[in-house]
Amino acid sequence: MESRVVNKGQISELLDKLAKDYNLIAPIKEETMTLFRRVSGAQDVLLDYNNSDISPKGCFLPQNEKTFSYMYTGDTLEINKPVGTQKTVLFGARPCDIKAILTFDPVFDGVKFGDEYYSSKRESTVIIGLSCAKVLSTCFCYAMGGGPCDTTGSDLLLTEIGDKYYVEVITEKGQALVDAYSQIIAKQDTAQLAKDKDELAKKLSGEFVRKVDLTGVKELMDNNFELPYWAGDDQKKCIGCGTCTYVCPTCHCFDIFDYTTGDFTGDRLRCWDSCMFPEYTLEAGGHNPRPSRKERIRNRFMHKIKYHLDRYNMVGCVGCGRCVNKCPVNIDITKIINDLKEVAQNA
Amino acid sequence: MPNPTALTPYPATITKIDVEAGDTKTFTVVFDDPEIMENFGNQPGQVCMLSAFGEGESTISITSSPTRGKFLEFCVRRVGRLTSVLHQMEVGQKIGVRGPYGNGFPYEMMKGKDLFFIGGGSALAPIRSLIDFVLSDQYRKDYGKVEILYGARSMDDVLFKSDLAERWPAIANTGIYTTIDRAEEGWNGHVGFVPPFIEEVAPTPENKIAIIAGPPILIKLGLAVMEKLGFKDEQIITTLEMRMKCCLGKCGRCNVGSKFICVDGPVFSLAQLKQMPPEY
Amino acid sequence: MMNLAQQLREQAKKLLEEKKVDLVIGFGQGTELARNTPVFIDSPEGVSALTWGPFCANNLAKYLVDYKNDPGSTAVVVKGCDARSVNRLLDDNQILREKVVVIGLPCPGQLEWQKVSAEIKPGSTLKEVVDNGDSYTVKTDSGDYTFNKKDYLLHRCLVCENPNPVISDITIGKEIPVKNYEERFAEVQDLEKLAADEKNEYWNKQFARCLRCYACRNVCSVCTCKVCAFDQMQPMWVSKRTNLSENTAFHITRAFHVAGRCVDCGECDRVCPMDIPLRKLNVKIHKDLGELFNSPTPGTEPGLISPLGGFSPGDPEEFM
Repeated sequence: MESRVVNKGQISELLDKLAKDYNLIAPIKEETMTLFRRVSGAQDVLLDYNNSDISPKGCFLPQNEKTFSYMYTGDTLEINKPVGTQKTVLFGARPCDIKAILTFDPVFDGVKFGDEYYSSKRESTVIIGLSCAKVLSTCFCYAMGGGPCDTTGSDLLLTEIGDKYYVEVITEKGQALVDAYSQIIAKQDTAQLAKDKDELAKKLSGEFVRKVDLTGVKELMDNNFELPYWAGDDQKKCIGCGTCTYVCPTCHCFDIFDYTTGDFTGDRLRCWDSCMFPEYTLEAGGHNPRPSRKERIRNRFMHKIKYHLDRYNMVGCVGCGRCVNKCPVNIDITKIINDLKEVAQNA
Repeated sequence: MPNPTALTPYPATITKIDVEAGDTKTFTVVFDDPEIMENFGNQPGQVCMLSAFGEGESTISITSSPTRGKFLEFCVRRVGRLTSVLHQMEVGQKIGVRGPYGNGFPYEMMKGKDLFFIGGGSALAPIRSLIDFVLSDQYRKDYGKVEILYGARSMDDVLFKSDLAERWPAIANTGIYTTIDRAEEGWNGHVGFVPPFIEEVAPTPENKIAIIAGPPILIKLGLAVMEKLGFKDEQIITTLEMRMKCCLGKCGRCNVGSKFICVDGPVFSLAQLKQMPPEY
Repeated sequence: MMNLAQQLREQAKKLLEEKKVDLVIGFGQGTELARNTPVFIDSPEGVSALTWGPFCANNLAKYLVDYKNDPGSTAVVVKGCDARSVNRLLDDNQILREKVVVIGLPCPGQLEWQKVSAEIKPGSTLKEVVDNGDSYTVKTDSGDYTFNKKDYLLHRCLVCENPNPVISDITIGKEIPVKNYEERFAEVQDLEKLAADEKNEYWNKQFARCLRCYACRNVCSVCTCKVCAFDQMQPMWVSKRTNLSENTAFHITRAFHVAGRCVDCGECDRVCPMDIPLRKLNVKIHKDLGELFNSPTPGTEPGLISPLGGFSPGDPEEFM
């Protein structure tokens, strides 16, 4: 597919146009936080940032989603689903977060059951990715098969080079968008820019300081569920909050419940939930298959580096480093992976 | 073609309510849309998500076999918020139903064999769908002797009393063994827990499939007895229970290892269970 | 500070060797240069993992509750603010005094690790930290970095009341004089001056960001209810929905649930992944309680009756 150019000076113009024609979701600064929110124009968009504090997965799986509203009197029942999805542009997501959206696809667009809420958003959203300019000490996307300038999953990928944005068109959807904004996303000779991007990618790949190696880890976990390792420090220091799961771009667990809005009316909601909460698997009769932090910690990490692979042939972590950054007690998936590798080697 | 609207329940009406025990009722439910009812296609062992609007949804196994007619029976024990709301409902009122979910019992591989059902407490409900399936006029000839061993805490807690006492014994080549935990006035049957009762009845493993369901302690001790009696792992089938929310393999919570109980189960053979982590 | 870490290891080793405790809960090097993480040492050889410095922000006192039913005793490493938690946990009957050994270290201030990390070359290895009084010098293999305390300490440290642990069985390090960079209630005085609708707007903006991860509640050393009201299913006071109404209900309710017992350790504020300035709610309550009941910060001494948990004839009673 082709590649194009946007002059840095024109990026505001592009964003303003996108904000007018689409539901534009881009990174913004809110006090000390960097978050993905709907913007009304270029003036709100933060272009100079490392990564957002929580991932943009909310574009496809919002934290609170109304699946339908109902009117129920006991003898009559009416169910009304929300109608229509806005055409959306997700602008400025990093390659790791975009790769994470791909891990949602086999979950929601399943073999037996689809998900209209997810699919409609997925179909009507154009993903414009933004290559990283910097590698943080908490980043480790390379270890999970990704990279700071990776095009996987984007419809368009922008890379900032000098006073231009090098625009790679990856999909038909992306092509349609650049065709619609040809005056700003201009056709130009991009041979040098392509080379510069390769240089950047190479440079960035040398900047990772977090050494993570998955070799042998899945095989270890395939055959050893009751590893003594899981009774160690991680489950002792874990405070059982939902921070890691909520900031994580590949976590997708949710709860479903009703919210009454009147005597006979209400909404059915689907909201994020966390496997780290004790009541997550608590059955009505009182039995809890994962009664302590040990089981829940083990389940979370085995899900990321084994179960997701087993079911969908994709690792369940993209190496964005948010959990490492935000965990109040410094539980670190990269340390756990490296520790497990050591356990595997010593076995 | 994957069903994209899988989270939306269909309206259904309660046509009959049977009180089974102090805290258990069986609801007979028919979809308002006759085409949905006609094509629902539920298999023995599958489950549905029942909506009590205002509370939410709960997974309840379908206790009726599709061979018995175009309706669904759900046996609901009152344990939480949602089941309490269901228990207060009356005939003629509506609920939401979506399904059918789960893998159902592998009744094909059971053909030509004798079947030994073991149920404890409310777990008779999920296996009843298979019992009625194999005892149906349509399929009776495909299966050999059908024996049902059932234990409840007390006389009142015995579910499906008329099925156990009248309807099933009336069908040819069946054996019914019922027990309650402690002796009670008015009970002339066996007294004692299920696992030692299995040993007493002593089913033989030749050409037999055992289907066992019950609370965790019954499964644990019951399986031990079955192994002692010579049953192989592939001959023992069970159905699991976990907290479920979506029943579509998406919300993540019902996983046992890499398997989701709602789509890969809830029915598993003992051979399959032994491959899974003991976290259920 | 390296010297203090060494003394800490020696004391911990002694406690474990003499079987005075079965477990030492302390700080160990984290997976980032500027981070420490809780460590649980149950053997004398394991004490080498213990460390001390200005990256030890966690309050470890609450972990004592996890071990209260174990047969043996537990030692915990505390700073000034965390020591107040130990007193409060004792007064809340969550731990038994005879099963706890408090290792207290006077604290010259804890640095905000993200701010420090942003200035240090990624991948550097920590060599030592030097306390210069008004600043720290972090010595690494990529150079020395100096951070003045006024700009890099956690905000709660700028108004620290007790740099020296108020309860301690084994004290390591010299007493540190109180040094405040800011007046204690300055941060809430600005908010107090706002009109009601401005205050509303301020807090709505903060609570709207809340994820309801419950990190603040879980880390709080006075939030020890076995089943928290917000986790209850029957009845379900809040759902998993994050809207302004439920978020506000959670934060305001929790602030009042802990009022009179909160020791102002500031952990809730530190752990919030969305940078909600939670401590302001608690500091305001501290200010009010001080004005109404002349009560010191809870946990400053053992046996203090919580101002909302007790009654004294001199209490203000304008409405009676």
